[in-house]
Amino acid sequence: MATVAVELPALGESVVEGTVSRWLVKEGERVELDQPLVEVTTDKVDAEVPAPAAGVLAKILVAEGETVPVGAELARIEPAAAAAGTRGAAAPARDPAETAQGEVAAPAGETPRVTPVARRVAKQSRVDLREVEGSGPGGRVSKRDVLRHREERSAGTPPAAAERPAAAAGAAPTPLAPRPEGPAPARPRPAFLDYQLQPGDRVIPMTPLRRLVAEHMVLSKRTSPHVGTVAEIDMGGVARVRAAHKRAFQEAHGFGLSFLPFVVHATVRALREYPRLNASVLEDSIVEKKDLHMGIAVETEKGLVVPVVRHADRLSLAGLAQAVEDLANRARSKKLSPDELKGGTFTISNPGREGNLYGFAIINQPQVGILRMGEVVKRPVVRGLDGEDAIAIRPIMHLALSYDHRAVDGGPANGFLHRIRELLEEAEFDL
Amino acid sequence: MAGLVVEWLGRVPYAEALALQERCAEDRRAGRVPDRILLLEHQPVVTLGRGAREENLLRSRAELRARGIEVFAIARGGDVTWHGPGQLVGYPILDLAARGRRDVHRYLRELEAALREALARLGVAAGTLAGTTGVFAGGGAGRPRKLASIGVGVRGWVTRHGFALNVDPDLSGFDSIVPCGLSHVEMTSVARELGPARPPDLWERSRDAVAVALLRRFG
Repeated sequence: MATVAVELPALGESVVEGTVSRWLVKEGERVELDQPLVEVTTDKVDAEVPAPAAGVLAKILVAEGETVPVGAELARIEPAAAAAGTRGAAAPARDPAETAQGEVAAPAGETPRVTPVARRVAKQSRVDLREVEGSGPGGRVSKRDVLRHREERSAGTPPAAAERPAAAAGAAPTPLAPRPEGPAPARPRPAFLDYQLQPGDRVIPMTPLRRLVAEHMVLSKRTSPHVGTVAEIDMGGVARVRAAHKRAFQEAHGFGLSFLPFVVHATVRALREYPRLNASVLEDSIVEKKDLHMGIAVETEKGLVVPVVRHADRLSLAGLAQAVEDLANRARSKKLSPDELKGGTFTISNPGREGNLYGFAIINQPQVGILRMGEVVKRPVVRGLDGEDAIAIRPIMHLALSYDHRAVDGGPANGFLHRIRELLEEAEFDL
Repeated sequence: MAGLVVEWLGRVPYAEALALQERCAEDRRAGRVPDRILLLEHQPVVTLGRGAREENLLRSRAELRARGIEVFAIARGGDVTWHGPGQLVGYPILDLAARGRRDVHRYLRELEAALREALARLGVAAGTLAGTTGVFAGGGAGRPRKLASIGVGVRGWVTRHGFALNVDPDLSGFDSIVPCGLSHVEMTSVARELGPARPPDLWERSRDAVAVALLRRFG
């Protein structure tokens, strides 16, 4: 039986599926060309799909409430006699599955070998339809077939030999990143993704946390133009204060005092003087936040988490040390609540002692800056002594700031970092 | 036809607004008029989008009618919402195909962006929540606070319905429903977010800010 397929049209680049929300026509009813047949919803949009041909709605294939991928068949129409005709002979139609202009459609009454959507995509991608193998009944070519052909062509593998990911069963090698069956992606896969697993390779599926963090890292770099700046900090003053209070602190609080609370404290004070670093970009505006919530990056065995010390500017050095210690412990024992991971306005990262002279961290969106601590190493430095230059041995730490150049310029960024350095080197801390 | 017209229509009965949108959309499809954005206000009314679930109507239709609140089921995406005085409603009737923007999700994001921009001008920091469409007040602890809802219909790439921004409505109007089917979300308004910082001419300013933001983004 020669019928015309009604497909779920492409409603946008990122739209991969739709839900049938309401059939407007019943099976067996006559329909005109372009008559609204069915409503489909995707997110908060309800779109009408018009009839691609005049005739009778022969069969509904997807019920109300069901979700299908773009390109899926929703129904079939039995076309009427030649006079009404399918699209292509008439003037260009205004519907989501427009036929490319100038193309000649299959004569009415025959199953088109190529769907209108496939024809359009083929024209846009300069794919010769004669080379495309159709996977539909009678070798019918759908949009999915065209996209797959385009991918295979750009990946350099001859179409016949390419294996569909996830369809291959049994022995190795299989493509490294198997994708679920579904509509082919709009862009061709880069060749490096088709890595063939070798015996001895260890495949580690990403945990949900790692996947989330990975996505955020990509998003952050795409969103913010990152610029880095480094300062060299003499931590001698801080070391002196810490040594003087070490025992008393341990006895009072039950854990050791590290350099981190000192850096957090100085950063909080510098942020109050440089509010531009405690901000977010919102469309065409920069919003300098009233509140200061400090994120502290913690590496746990599951991955990177960033618990937030709320209103960090209201805490003393001891209070900060306490808050950081508590959050880090609970992060490692996975006892953080979702609220404690949100709402940060700036982030500090302290990734470790060795192999870390300095490094530029990735901004934690939607913040505009992130500070990363380097290892503290004794170095010879030049210091003024009685008006003369002398060499002293001092504990030196590099502090690296990554900032979003949409919101922050070099001047304020450098000023901010320099202020942190001053505060740490003056080492006037209350303990 | 090129260009964009933004019009303030005042308070319009819901059924009339539906008919008006229908006519506008037909005219737009035929190319008789340019893109238009209708800005208006409704008397209390509850509308059900195609994603609506009956359990999100907390009062029966009979109860609502007894309170003078009509209920309409309409061809827009999304669940149930409430409109009423003090809420700025916008119906952009845009030809997405003529703009070269055959992407309905992108359209949703652009509506959100325009509303956020308008809110920023009014002094309210607003953003979006991953996984849901709409504009939310930023910052603070507690449940997410929704400022604007969005629900759109598309036919032949011409848009209908649109958004509703809570400027200073009586938020108890939302008590009849689970707004947008989101039980963990609180509805808020520009007035509530600004608190004492709220200017006396907030309604006029909101209309202007929204009109300007829409013109900038879609004009």
